[in-house]
Amino acid sequence: MSDSKGEFEPKIVVYACNWCTYAATDLAGTSRMSYPPNVRIIRVMCSGRVDPQFVLQAFADGADGVIVAGCHPPADCHYIEGNYKAYRRFELFRKLLETMGIEQERFRLEWISAAEASRWVQVVNEMVAQLKKLGPLKPNLEVRE
Amino acid sequence: MTEEPRIGVYVCHCGFNIAGTVDVKKVAEFAKTLPNVVVAKDYVFMCSEPGQDLIKADIKAHNLNRVVVSACSPSLHEITFRTAVSEAGLNKYLLEMANIREHCSWVHHDKEKATEKAKEIVRMAVAKARHLEPLEELEVKAEPSALVLGGGVAGMRAALELANYGFNVYLVEKAPTIGGKAALIGYIDPKTKGPDVVSKMFDRIKDCPRIQVLTNAELIQLSGFAGNYNAKIRINPRYVNEKCTLCGECEEVCPIEVSNEYNFGLNKRKAIFLPFSNAYPPYYAIDYRVCVKCGECEKVCRFGAINLKEEPKTIELKVGSVIIATGYDPYRPFKGEYGYGLHQNIITLFQLERLLDPESPTKGELIIGGKVPKSIAFIQCVGSRNTTPGAKEYCSRMCCTTAINSAIKIKEKYPDTNVYILYKDIMTYGSDETLYEEAGKKLVQFIKFEDKIPKVSITPEGLFIDVFEYTIQENIRIPVDAIVLSIGMLPPRDIEELIAVTRVSCGGEGFVREAHLKLAPVEAPTKGIFLAGCITGPKNILESIRMGSAAAAKAMSLLSKGKITIEPMIAQVNEEKCSGCAICVGVCPYSAISIKKVNGDRIAYVEKALCMGCGTCNAACPSGAMQHLGFKDIQLLAQTRAVFGGEMNV
Repeated sequence: MSDSKGEFEPKIVVYACNWCTYAATDLAGTSRMSYPPNVRIIRVMCSGRVDPQFVLQAFADGADGVIVAGCHPPADCHYIEGNYKAYRRFELFRKLLETMGIEQERFRLEWISAAEASRWVQVVNEMVAQLKKLGPLKPNLEVRE
Repeated sequence: MTEEPRIGVYVCHCGFNIAGTVDVKKVAEFAKTLPNVVVAKDYVFMCSEPGQDLIKADIKAHNLNRVVVSACSPSLHEITFRTAVSEAGLNKYLLEMANIREHCSWVHHDKEKATEKAKEIVRMAVAKARHLEPLEELEVKAEPSALVLGGGVAGMRAALELANYGFNVYLVEKAPTIGGKAALIGYIDPKTKGPDVVSKMFDRIKDCPRIQVLTNAELIQLSGFAGNYNAKIRINPRYVNEKCTLCGECEEVCPIEVSNEYNFGLNKRKAIFLPFSNAYPPYYAIDYRVCVKCGECEKVCRFGAINLKEEPKTIELKVGSVIIATGYDPYRPFKGEYGYGLHQNIITLFQLERLLDPESPTKGELIIGGKVPKSIAFIQCVGSRNTTPGAKEYCSRMCCTTAINSAIKIKEKYPDTNVYILYKDIMTYGSDETLYEEAGKKLVQFIKFEDKIPKVSITPEGLFIDVFEYTIQENIRIPVDAIVLSIGMLPPRDIEELIAVTRVSCGGEGFVREAHLKLAPVEAPTKGIFLAGCITGPKNILESIRMGSAAAAKAMSLLSKGKITIEPMIAQVNEEKCSGCAICVGVCPYSAISIKKVNGDRIAYVEKALCMGCGTCNAACPSGAMQHLGFKDIQLLAQTRAVFGGEMNV
């Protein structure tokens, strides 16, 4: 995707847990913070709800980056240990991405508390800058020897 | 899905909050082009009464069966619009919010880009809305009663609050008397001690018919869910009943002597004993663990109060909620830690507190090793704040205040005794700070050590403490007659059993963890179970009492309606797809899922009242049989695909 001037504008899909990260994205709004409009946020109740197939679907449909974000370990999770479930799933998943020709930098697992609106803005800025450097996602579908 | 979705989209201006940055008319026009959208409108304030009426009228006029409100965050107005759609006869879970204020108009400034983004957010919400289903809230009856585990100050306070409100309370205590540690020691303010507060609470409990006190009792099994718990309680025999007049003749003839835990081992007690003079229930008890049943006490009792044939029994109770207030254990110094266990004049703060009690073996006199010490030193942070390899990281909160209060008492009674307090930092927080000042005026000597902890030497000439005084940066040697180790708090010894029975979880320090320190304080992660007092970590007496009140208030707010509403956004099993692999059983943080046999097939079963709706089972299910209602795979995939204009077929 590119804007009117033809500059590459990456599109990022975000899965945010209701209790921490989604609340942080709301706080960024109520605090009138400013960040690039490249993110699309999907609310889930817990980062532990995020199925890796959602992330793959997003990449398959054209996402340049995906962020899964939840509550800080060890004890911020609203559901005791959903953040650990997400951590275990996505640390493994990250390794698989490379084998599919998707750079690991296109995926981020983040812990952002309800109060950390500035952290949210920072993550968006970093991700946008990084994806601009990487360019659009072109999955490398050649089979490697 | 039986009915083709008919969706209405309502784009809010929020005054200029949205309309100032987002071209709301364009967004509404765009929404009309989306599949299944029947009507799309914009309005200045959707949450206002005319705004809500607009939606309600449209639901009827256009026969809408889904509504998308494109406005602010669902955390703000989801409930408002759910109520509005349900007033128009639509199931309230057929509403979806598109957050174009917090996520768009308030954080972006470029009008064109913000409008494009808002359109996509609406497209995502519409895509999800196409797959929404009506959901029904369930209601279960709730027992207006509570089980309180632990008869310390926190548990007693919780029991009294609940009983005052009209609930039946079972106060379960492992020991033969309620009262906990505060009944023995503890500082509250210069005029009030722990035992004073406890005896006032006893008076109230005595007069309260709704509180049933079960001593020598423990919870051995807990099943059910919020509002409907079944608790199995084992009651160990006390062998002494209410005919006891406290004459004490039995105690004299009892041949068994053991260390007296109610004086922290300062003296011995018999197998038949009264824990302390105003213990409750107010009669003797036989320690069933050490009694040899010689029958001497039974023979000498003139009131027929003793029955050695009593058997342990198990009772079952039905309760609506459970409050866990089983407290702490004092830190146990290892042998040789600051000379502990090697010299009779080295005692713990808990022992000193008992010694200064009028009921003590010395009748409240400070007699250690046969005489009043001419000099006595307190060593702080024993077992706390990483002072020794076995010590905990945390501060135990009560030891500084208790030690300084005792030091003042000693100085008042024995002005010639030199009192030293060796400390790392003084933590007399809040109004207790005045104690610290007063101790200075009374010439209690404070000696600060940092990382180099004091060394205790036991010599033929007496006890010596070598310490590097941090303020003057010099090694000093203090000859003392007695040493008091200000020990901290540990999680109770039997916490493992508690965890196994109640399914609570522990934090890093070994205490029970609250569901969320900020969002769900006092609550255990399992609905209907609440926590009070030192079971969640060190607290002073007042803090424990307050937490007891808080836990009771939460239990009451849960049970007061006589029924509990179960949120419908929980896990649901598709029995046709489920293979019974049980992966979901392992990932559920609430033990809400079990495997049942249905017509010979293994099928996952969700206990609705236990499910809290996190959806982690859905993410783990390999066959898509487990679905998180309101956040089903198809709903979230549709939302994902809609980011890029793609669709999931209905």
